Amino acid sequence: MTSEEFRLFIPQYLADQLTIDQLEAFEAQMAASPELQNEVEELRWLWQGLGLLPEPQPSPALRARFYQRLNSNGRERPITAHGFSKWLHGWLPQIAFGAAVFLVGIYVGHVRDSGRAQTEELTQMRSQVQNLQQMVALSLLERQSATSRLEGVGWTEGIHRPDSRLMNALISTLNHDPNVNVRLSSLDALTRFTDEAVVRRALVDSVASQDSPLVQIALIDEIVQMRENNAARELRALAENATANSAVRQRAQWGLTKLGYE
Amino acid sequence: MLASYVENQTDSSLMMLVQAGETSQLAVLFERHHLPLFRYLLHLTRNQTVSEDLAQEAFMRVLKYASTYNPNLGFPVWLFGIARNLYFDSLRRKKAESISDGFTDIRSSDPMPEELVTRKQDVTLLEKALQQLPSDKREVLVLSRFQNLRYEEIARLTSCEVGTVKVRVYRALKQLRENFRRLHEAKAAQRAKLQDQEGLYDI
Repeated sequence: MTSEEFRLFIPQYLADQLTIDQLEAFEAQMAASPELQNEVEELRWLWQGLGLLPEPQPSPALRARFYQRLNSNGRERPITAHGFSKWLHGWLPQIAFGAAVFLVGIYVGHVRDSGRAQTEELTQMRSQVQNLQQMVALSLLERQSATSRLEGVGWTEGIHRPDSRLMNALISTLNHDPNVNVRLSSLDALTRFTDEAVVRRALVDSVASQDSPLVQIALIDEIVQMRENNAARELRALAENATANSAVRQRAQWGLTKLGYE
Repeated sequence: MLASYVENQTDSSLMMLVQAGETSQLAVLFERHHLPLFRYLLHLTRNQTVSEDLAQEAFMRVLKYASTYNPNLGFPVWLFGIARNLYFDSLRRKKAESISDGFTDIRSSDPMPEELVTRKQDVTLLEKALQQLPSDKREVLVLSRFQNLRYEEIARLTSCEVGTVKVRVYRALKQLRENFRRLHEAKAAQRAKLQDQEGLYDI
């Protein structure tokens, strides 16, 4: 093998992907060639540096939209005459909301055109729109169908600052919804509000009570992401729980290390 | 029940369930693979929204074409292949306007505050150097370094010979080093210039 051919092995050597024979040959060559050794060291720094690059996260919308599509995929049926009233009933909150926003828009336009637009009134209008949005979200979150509840979680995206009722509904969905996909989506929705202590606490408390490893792992990832410093007890309990899912235990251990507890 | 899926079910056995009509099993595959897929796509597109759309679409294609899944290929390679095709399809559709030009480089254009520590500066420069690699080199390097794919898998995914992958990854790493050096020198020169100017003001 020529020295040029040995060089081509460098990335695989750094990635620990050489076979035993290749590794032995490569290390022997490295010992004999300071040039190759230098190049390995230089590229090793680069290889390790790549590992320090920030890991971009997708927005919560990705998960919510995927689950919405997955759920509707399993439920897509032609709308029959019998199913129409059911379909209409399902869309009523959205229709009501659309109409309300339309009327509010007309009113705001009227107020502005008449030259009596007051910042206070506009703020009030906006707040009413947000209230309506919250109402729709809350109504959908109470539905029996998981698709509707996913839509309910989706509606919270447009709400800048949910009131305590909606926040509690989201937390309750995270903790008690029978559908894992809905729970994961509500977790994504809650991650927008982790600047609030009550949400941070709720996420930490939720880890232990979840029966789904998928949700537990997503929660651990979020706890690490938000650098939560009051989660050591919960993570340690999970890492040491012999009955817990082994992937969850490993993730909890990883979380403890990432947060500097161990 | 779900625990056993996470722990014991392989990707291929989950795909067999999906093929049998248990579409909900796709959720487990989504949870396992959506992050690496999104990051891979982000390296290709350099656009957060486009990457999310393509990732979502790729999983829906998995559902649509589940019957064509070949377990010998391995699920990640198959999934990445679907996403890769979607990306190139979208490029072809937008060939007139050149999709990359319209994309925002989401992380490399921020100016670096002087007070940042050197290591952080280096990481930022490294990220910029990676973005400057030609797309074919960047892709193989990302697949090897961040997705831990073996050369055989990268070769299958990118439809080329293993030897080509080997050469391409090595050259990508070398070019990354050159890009980084160039950026580092430019930064050092800029800093020296600033220090000179500050020195003049001091006088």
